[in-house]
Amino acid sequence: MITLIYGGSSSGKSAYAEDYVCQSNCKNRYYLATMLAQDSESQERVKRHRNLRAGKDFITLEQPYDIGNTVETKEDSIILLECMSNLVANEMFREGKINSQAATVSKIINDIKELDSKVAQLVIVSNDVFEDGLEYDEYTKDYLRALGKINAEIAKMADKSVEVIVGIGVER
Amino acid sequence: MILVVGGSYQGKTEFARTEFPDAKYFNQLHLFVKKRISEGKNNSEILAEIRDVIKDGDWVIISDEIGNGIVPLDENDRTWREVCGRIMIELAKDATEVYRVVCGIGQRIK
Repeated sequence: MITLIYGGSSSGKSAYAEDYVCQSNCKNRYYLATMLAQDSESQERVKRHRNLRAGKDFITLEQPYDIGNTVETKEDSIILLECMSNLVANEMFREGKINSQAATVSKIINDIKELDSKVAQLVIVSNDVFEDGLEYDEYTKDYLRALGKINAEIAKMADKSVEVIVGIGVER
Repeated sequence: MILVVGGSYQGKTEFARTEFPDAKYFNQLHLFVKKRISEGKNNSEILAEIRDVIKDGDWVIISDEIGNGIVPLDENDRTWREVCGRIMIELAKDATEVYRVVCGIGQRIK
C-alpha cells in the first residue's frame, strides 16, 4: 500500500510524513534516505532530518538509487522513502551518464512496485518543484518531466495522496 | 490570527479583503522575511518580531508560497525559502484559520 506525501521545499512534509509513519501499527520502521550528501549544505540537511527522526525508532537505509531491493520481505514493515526528487536526479544523472526521461521513469516505477510488494506500507515523500515559473535548460526540463510523470504515476498507484501546505496535510 | 497563503498573483489579497474586511493586514510576509534576513536576522528573531506586531487585534497575514520550485542556485535565495517555509509552519500552528488560495479560490485547510 502506497501513500504519497507531496509538498514544496520547507513545507513541513518530512515532519508530517514521520508523524504519519509513527501512527501506523507496523513493527519495523525503515527510513530510506536517497540523498547523496556531497556538500556541507546537504550534510546540514541530513543532520536536521536525523535530529527530526531521533527517538522515533527508524532503521535508516541510505540508498541513492536501485531502491527495489533495499529490504527483505516483511509483512509488518513500513518504509518512509525520502525523497523522490533526489532519487530521480540520482537515477537520471548516474555515474557520469545521463539516462533518458523514459528510462528513468520506468526504472523508478518498477523499483517502487518491487519495494511496495515487500512491505505492508510504503510512504513516499516527493517534492513540488514545478511552480517557480522559470525557464530551465533541456536537462533540467527533462528532469522536471520525469519527476512530474513519476509523481502522477505514484498518485495513481497510491491509496492516499496528501499535499502538505505550511505543515498542514490536505488530502488530494 | 488568520493565515492566507498561495502562489503569486492568485488573488490572495482580494480573497482576504472580501472574507475578512474588518481585520488588520500583514501583507507580503515573504518579502518582509527577505528584508529581515538581509539585515542579518535569524529565523526565531523574525518570528518573534512578527508575533509582536500582531499581538493586538484581529490580524490576517498574507504570504506567497515560495518553496514550490527547483532549488535556487543562489545561497541567499535558498536561505530565504527555507526560513520563509519554517516561519509559515509556525504561524500556521498559531493561526485559528489557514487558507490556501489558487486562482482566487480560497480553500480552508485549518
